[in-house]
Amino acid sequence: MSRALSIELRRSAAPGSALILLAVGVALLYLVAEAEWSAGWMQLVMAQRLYLALLWPLALAAGAWQGRRERQSNVTELFASTPRPRASRVVPTVGAMALTIVAGYLLMGLVGGLAIVSTAHYLPPQVAAVTAVGALALVAGVWLGMAAGHLLPWLVTAPAVAVAGLGVLLTIPAATRPKGWLALVFSPIYEMNLPEDYATVPGRVSVSQAIWLAALALAGLLLFASSGWRVRVAALLPVALGAVLAITVMPHHDRLVVDAVDPVAKELVCARDEPRVCVSRVHEGLLPEVVPQAREALTVLAKLPGMPSRVHEDTTTYLPYVPAPRTADVALVTIRGGKTGDLTSKIVTGVFARSYDCEKGPDWADTLAAAYWLIGRTPVAEEPDVAADALIRWRELGKLPAGEAAARVTAIRDAAVGCK
Amino acid sequence: MRWLILYLRSRHAPMALAVAGACAALMWSLWLVTSTTRQVGAPMVVLTVLLTVSALTTTLVSPDGALDRTAALAWAPRRAAHVLAAFLFVAGLLAVTLVTPARFSPALLVARDTAGLLGLTALGATVISPARSWFLPLGWTLAAIVFPGSGNRLAEALTWQGQDPGNSPAMVTALLLAASGLLAYTLAGPARRAMTEITV
Repeated sequence: MSRALSIELRRSAAPGSALILLAVGVALLYLVAEAEWSAGWMQLVMAQRLYLALLWPLALAAGAWQGRRERQSNVTELFASTPRPRASRVVPTVGAMALTIVAGYLLMGLVGGLAIVSTAHYLPPQVAAVTAVGALALVAGVWLGMAAGHLLPWLVTAPAVAVAGLGVLLTIPAATRPKGWLALVFSPIYEMNLPEDYATVPGRVSVSQAIWLAALALAGLLLFASSGWRVRVAALLPVALGAVLAITVMPHHDRLVVDAVDPVAKELVCARDEPRVCVSRVHEGLLPEVVPQAREALTVLAKLPGMPSRVHEDTTTYLPYVPAPRTADVALVTIRGGKTGDLTSKIVTGVFARSYDCEKGPDWADTLAAAYWLIGRTPVAEEPDVAADALIRWRELGKLPAGEAAARVTAIRDAAVGCK
Repeated sequence: MRWLILYLRSRHAPMALAVAGACAALMWSLWLVTSTTRQVGAPMVVLTVLLTVSALTTTLVSPDGALDRTAALAWAPRRAAHVLAAFLFVAGLLAVTLVTPARFSPALLVARDTAGLLGLTALGATVISPARSWFLPLGWTLAAIVFPGSGNRLAEALTWQGQDPGNSPAMVTALLLAASGLLAYTLAGPARRAMTEITV
């Protein structure tokens, strides 16, 4: 048995398929949108799940190619004449395909992990669940493909099932609208794009998806190992049961993954010594980068009385809207992704900016002018008209006597804090 | 004429043409059932071209290549004619839909993708083997549809299948693939290792 398996591992389509999936997966990770998964492990495994949009059809095609091997080599009749039942003959083949494909998927995650391993310290248990569902999706795809290749042993079957698989994945959201949770049951890629830094996938979602995909894999296995119509009809049973069970397990409301926030990832973790600098747990690996810039910003702020003496990460989430706690002695700063960029000016600017839900308060040009007056540099902004406006106000501040300018800057700060 | 009929039969052309037609008909009716617009969406057009081209892959290999080589026939022009005929068949098949309630257009997109994908398939048939020649067209096209590149020339050239018909980097890639595939298949013919495989 293990000898047959090792032969299949070397001689079947298994190693080639896994290598192709690995190469395509790594290329997708690094070429399509590297910045989107650089925040941490959760974002990486969710990106992997999103890229199943391409990997899953390819797994179907690889399975279909392997499934028509006997026909391709013209040995169907020869093998049919052997006394061993088909069910026991196919076990090494399906095992080899599943093993290598799963290994390829895990390896893709590890290669992606190389880019984030230095900054991503937070590894929640849901990462394993998300990866397991992704691997299970590929196994189901490969086995279904093998069944298709066995039952329809033509060359065009493989590209056709791949196109059909892509079509199914892309039409599931539209077909189940407005029931988003239903799309989440049947599509392993749904709601996996653009994960926030505190994103997570609730456990029940993963369980429901795993049930459905396991049922699909079982159906593929039965169809591939079958040699009579009874078993083929029986393969419908796990599909029906799995669908019912998965729908029962899945919570029946929408935006389950998009609105999910991992409270542990959001918790603040502080640098050890004073003054306090805190970031969320998911960004803990960035602390060595953040702390010196935050302390520099605090030194700049200390020029005026009544300014914040601590820096916290702004852990506001917008879906759902949960603002970070604001207090007068804390400067909030948004940290996104794996790269922090220039934080010092961001922290100082944040001190003079009104909060997200405040409609009054200083406008952005005033905020920039005040912040950069305190820093002692010309203001910079992304939008050219805001930058020009901020520059004019910054020059006005510079012409004033120091005491009067300080009073104006303090007034802007008070307006920002009080939303006036 | 008799030679042509025998040639087409030996290449399983009737079956391949029927499968290609069935694929196109299936995609055509899917669009008719699921959509309200007459103009078929670009991804659907590209996938249909991909499917019909893959269905014609089986005709690229002869049942007995060794025997073919001994024949006192000029194979090179015949192979070139074969690829060109396949191009005309796919493009013609989709051109017929222009007068139906689901139009696979623009014609330039169909022609570009058919030429490029057929060239890539012929190149694969020459270098790897006809049975494996659908690997690259399939993977590349699916990738280009799911993750289309835009903005820079390299990304547009790499995801040429899904670009607008007027896009010049995409057109250059398609023409390069078409020319190299036609040339390689015409000069060298299907890979030798294909002899032991059944491609139907």
